[in-house]
Amino acid sequence: MFTTYDLFDDMLTLRNMVERFFDETATTRRRVELPYINIYEKDDNIIIRAIAPGVASSDVNLQLTDNTLTIEMHRKEDYADRPYLRKEREFGSYKKSIKLPYFVDPDKVEASINNGILTITLTKHESVKPRKITIK
Amino acid sequence: MATQVTKHSDRNLEKKDYCLIPPVDIYETDNEFVLKTDMPGVSKENVEITFNNNELEINGTLHEADTAGENLTYREFTLCNYNRKFLISDKINVEGITAALENGVLTVTLPKREEAKPKKIEIKSE
Repeated sequence: MFTTYDLFDDMLTLRNMVERFFDETATTRRRVELPYINIYEKDDNIIIRAIAPGVASSDVNLQLTDNTLTIEMHRKEDYADRPYLRKEREFGSYKKSIKLPYFVDPDKVEASINNGILTITLTKHESVKPRKITIK
Repeated sequence: MATQVTKHSDRNLEKKDYCLIPPVDIYETDNEFVLKTDMPGVSKENVEITFNNNELEINGTLHEADTAGENLTYREFTLCNYNRKFLISDKINVEGITAALENGVLTVTLPKREEAKPKKIEIKSE
């Protein structure tokens, strides 16, 4: 208000903006959509584990189409109508599709939420298992 | 989502050390402070809350299976033990601290001492 305008101030601000843009992109920022998942494969099973703290089992929607599994979940806010000293947790709706390496049996899908971790167990379908062919 | 568990240091990942700082929400009511923190993968038996010299420390230990990378083919997250410390004022009634764990969300309730609770001041009429 009581200072004189300095052109270099504006130029420095612009330079900082450009620098920050390059600092924050690419390598430093992880572009992974929520929920975070890990996939384990053992024998004829695929185990998918997703982080879902505070998510009730009724708020999770799983859909299997061909060999694509879609996980949809909603995490309800548990905010109180009070002044907050700190707010770091995240809430919202998340959706993620996973392409499975092989066709799985839709009747043998098991899913459970335990301690805030969603575990989905999928089994390879009989039709895609290796078969021995006898020679007549 | 909580998922965003900040990684403290990669160095101790292989050891059984603490390396995740769980995200926390803290709010205040007239009678207490409520602290909520996301610690996915931790069961009730593996949470340790200690209060020492005005310092509240929360430790969460994970099961071996949660941290192991056996048969892992695709990874987006790494879990390891949780640790976070909070400096608490003298206003807290230490004996009354309670905690509950539900679906990986830990809620710690810190009640205020009687003298720290808000008081209504009566206006006397002359």
